[in-house]
Amino acid sequence: MEHLSIEALARLVDEAPRPEEAEHLAGCLTCRGELEAMRAQTHALASLPEIRPPLGDWEVLEARLRSDGLIQDEGFLTRIGLAQTPPWMRAAAAAALFLGGTLVGAGATARQAAGPGAQPAGSTVALFAEASNLDDAAAAVRVAEEQYVTALTRYRQLLAQDGGDVDTGDPRSRFAALEYLVAASQAAVRQAPADPFLNGLLASTLAEREATLRKISSRQDNWF
Amino acid sequence: MTESQLIRQAADGNARAVRALYDRYAPRVFAVVRRIAGDDELAQDYAQEAWIRAVRALPTFRGDARFSTWLHRIAVNSALQALRKSETRRKREAPFPAEVPVGPRSGDTLLQRKLERALDALPEGMRQVLILHDVEGYTHEEIGDALGVAAGTSKSQLFKARAKMREMLSGLDGATEESGAEAWSI
Repeated sequence: MEHLSIEALARLVDEAPRPEEAEHLAGCLTCRGELEAMRAQTHALASLPEIRPPLGDWEVLEARLRSDGLIQDEGFLTRIGLAQTPPWMRAAAAAALFLGGTLVGAGATARQAAGPGAQPAGSTVALFAEASNLDDAAAAVRVAEEQYVTALTRYRQLLAQDGGDVDTGDPRSRFAALEYLVAASQAAVRQAPADPFLNGLLASTLAEREATLRKISSRQDNWF
Repeated sequence: MTESQLIRQAADGNARAVRALYDRYAPRVFAVVRRIAGDDELAQDYAQEAWIRAVRALPTFRGDARFSTWLHRIAVNSALQALRKSETRRKREAPFPAEVPVGPRSGDTLLQRKLERALDALPEGMRQVLILHDVEGYTHEEIGDALGVAAGTSKSQLFKARAKMREMLSGLDGATEESGAEAWSI
């Protein structure tokens, strides 16, 4: 008796036998055994386990992903939970920080002129000016970072109190932030009346505030 | 954090999210790539390439299919393309796999090792079809698309591969671990 070929048995793992094959299988213990073995092999293949990559695989991959610019560490704002803050608000906070630092620095300069021991703590500008090595400069950057976060957080609080929507950048929120900037710019100009940069900043901030106010007014006109 | 949140963050380039996806799916990706490649070193290169492609394509993932399926397809296609590109194949002498299998779903370890060695010893075309069909559950049409062959060709290669596997595994019965590798050489 001629047995079924091994390839025919391989086919019968998941296909129905032809009539002559079925007849042969019914009477041939050897072929039935081979077919069962083939089925068990196929079942075992489907049950093969996953394979852990070699140690250090992630480190190699991570380096490649970074060099291709596909991943990066979380940004500073993400780490502190302020990544969703609109860019214009961050710019406003940075400007306010600059102005605040300028004012504090100007005051410190005045106090220094008045005598030793008058230097206030926490003056970012003074810290930068005094930094004589990388460690001092890094410490000044950290202080600036903290002040920046404080300023940004305060903006959000003020806007929330005014009912402004900080995430949509609507004109009312923008106007509230500009009001704050105008006040800070005016204070800076009072400290240094002849400074062209501070005067320019005040002028442009005032203009921007007026433009925003007109925008709000026009929206209200349309409403009525 | 849900998987879709992880995917969104990973698509934005968040290293921590990409790492989390890697930790979750790396064994599955490596397994299919390793079996297609039939070689440990090639497998590592191909798996890395697959991950880079996947991370690059993440912004295009729309969630129409499961993420694991999407990633798996990228891994398979990436490995197959890489194999096609390589002009020479290393001479295989059926070495034991160097890596440690994790999370076996069923079956004993010795049988799994025998199967892995027999797979490595199969001719490339047969191995690819057998892995895609019997291990990964692809249809012959899907295999045809992936390999650029007709579904009928896939089917005939599958039957030859099963038969070859059966011959190799039968030949190994009763053989020692040391002599087994020689018994499986083609």
